[in-house]
Amino acid sequence: MSLTITCPICGQRNGYEFRFGGEERGPRPDEEDLTHEQWCDYVHMRTNIGGIQREWWYHRDGCGSWFTIRRDTLTNLEVEGPEET
Amino acid sequence: MAPRIFSRLTRKKKQRVLQRHSLKGSYDAVIIGGGLHGLATAYFLAKERGMTDVAVIERRYIGFGGSGRNTAIVRANQRTKENLPLYAEGLELWPKLTDELDFNLMFFNCGNLNLAHSEAALGSMRLLVASAQFHGIKSEILDAKQCKEIVPILDISDRLTYPIMGGMYHPPGGTVRHDAVVWGLAQGVTNHGVHIHQGTEVTGINVHKGRVVSVETDKGAISTPLVLNAAGGYSTLISAMVGIQLPIHVLTIQAMVTQPLKPILHHVVSSGGYHCYANQTLKGEIATGAHMDPWPNYTTDVSAHYIKHQAEALTELMPCLKGVKFMRSWAGLADMTPDMAPIIDGNDHIQGYFMDCGWGYFGFKSGAVIGKYMAEFMATGRYPDRLAPFTLRRYEDHRLMGEIANPVNYGPWN
Repeated sequence: MSLTITCPICGQRNGYEFRFGGEERGPRPDEEDLTHEQWCDYVHMRTNIGGIQREWWYHRDGCGSWFTIRRDTLTNLEVEGPEET
Repeated sequence: MAPRIFSRLTRKKKQRVLQRHSLKGSYDAVIIGGGLHGLATAYFLAKERGMTDVAVIERRYIGFGGSGRNTAIVRANQRTKENLPLYAEGLELWPKLTDELDFNLMFFNCGNLNLAHSEAALGSMRLLVASAQFHGIKSEILDAKQCKEIVPILDISDRLTYPIMGGMYHPPGGTVRHDAVVWGLAQGVTNHGVHIHQGTEVTGINVHKGRVVSVETDKGAISTPLVLNAAGGYSTLISAMVGIQLPIHVLTIQAMVTQPLKPILHHVVSSGGYHCYANQTLKGEIATGAHMDPWPNYTTDVSAHYIKHQAEALTELMPCLKGVKFMRSWAGLADMTPDMAPIIDGNDHIQGYFMDCGWGYFGFKSGAVIGKYMAEFMATGRYPDRLAPFTLRRYEDHRLMGEIANPVNYGPWN
């Protein structure tokens, strides 16, 4: 099954129109008192989860907006519905 | 059933390659992942380090992952001084292993031809060739006409979207039969008394006072002081069990073979510009790959999108392949790092925990030689100089490896 992604502006579109922007890692850390380790964590380290994650996408061949969706990396399908806590 | 072409197997009658063992409650070392890297490490631990009380734990069956899904290409034309000697040693190991294991690994050093479609690509190849030659590895620049001489089916006209301007020819590379390597090593480790446990899933790793004490599996717990994470595409999931995050994205990489043809392609041909490579297997199929959907994904699904791309690329480079049918396609997982170099580390803040992962699509070429150094590392506890540059700490120290200057951009992480 191929991937479709729901763009907040254009709606559900073919996944190849989009560019993946990385898993959601929270806000960029404050540069004051930033250690190499924290910066490395933010820039390079990934959870690379086998399951559902919130992640960034860019509608490259469309409206150009950046947004997040939830996707299951084990099925490569977008997951709808509210976030579980 | 073991194939009958392997002489040793038919001579020793009815002995299975893999002996079934019951899972013991303790081992001197546990290797997670029954792929090429895990089996090679177990082999060299047993053979060169005298450690035979070793278990290889495999969730599915040996060679299920990348070891059986790669396109079997081996080469030593990388870019950096850390990588080149390692891959060169790896190339020299195939014939030695064939002898040692008494198993035909079908090493075919037909040479690799990498095509350039721009001045920039040729410039980059000049650097690669100079680096290779500096390390005593055969590699040379060819012009388009010379490319056509060694691969006559190439189209070097300007009809192509990206005409061929030249190439880099690396004679010592070629292909190795990947299943044979898995089976040969499995037989090798079994002969040394190592246990291979297939269908066994690791569910946890217990650490006490900064040391590995045991591994939990769905078939029972194993106490052990040494654990190697050689889980390939699944290595971040294993790593998470001990709370170590890795800079790895898992991408699905796709490959396919055509129907068998008479011999027409005698070298491995690759093109960065078309993002396509191809070689003709000994069965006559054109084996070709390899595309990755540039987002993390644990499925091994193939996509129509890339089959189409692959057909277009192949038939532009080699027009005589028009009308040839793809027979099979498949996919495997590539554990990509930001600098296209692996993470080989151990004893760093958890004593007894070792990692050999992040190989991306370089895992096959490197498997045997890394097994040798990894065995040294695990047995002696000393970090071999050859492996030390691949430490996980390099990301924190901003010392990313220079391999990234070569390949295509896959996503925001590289």
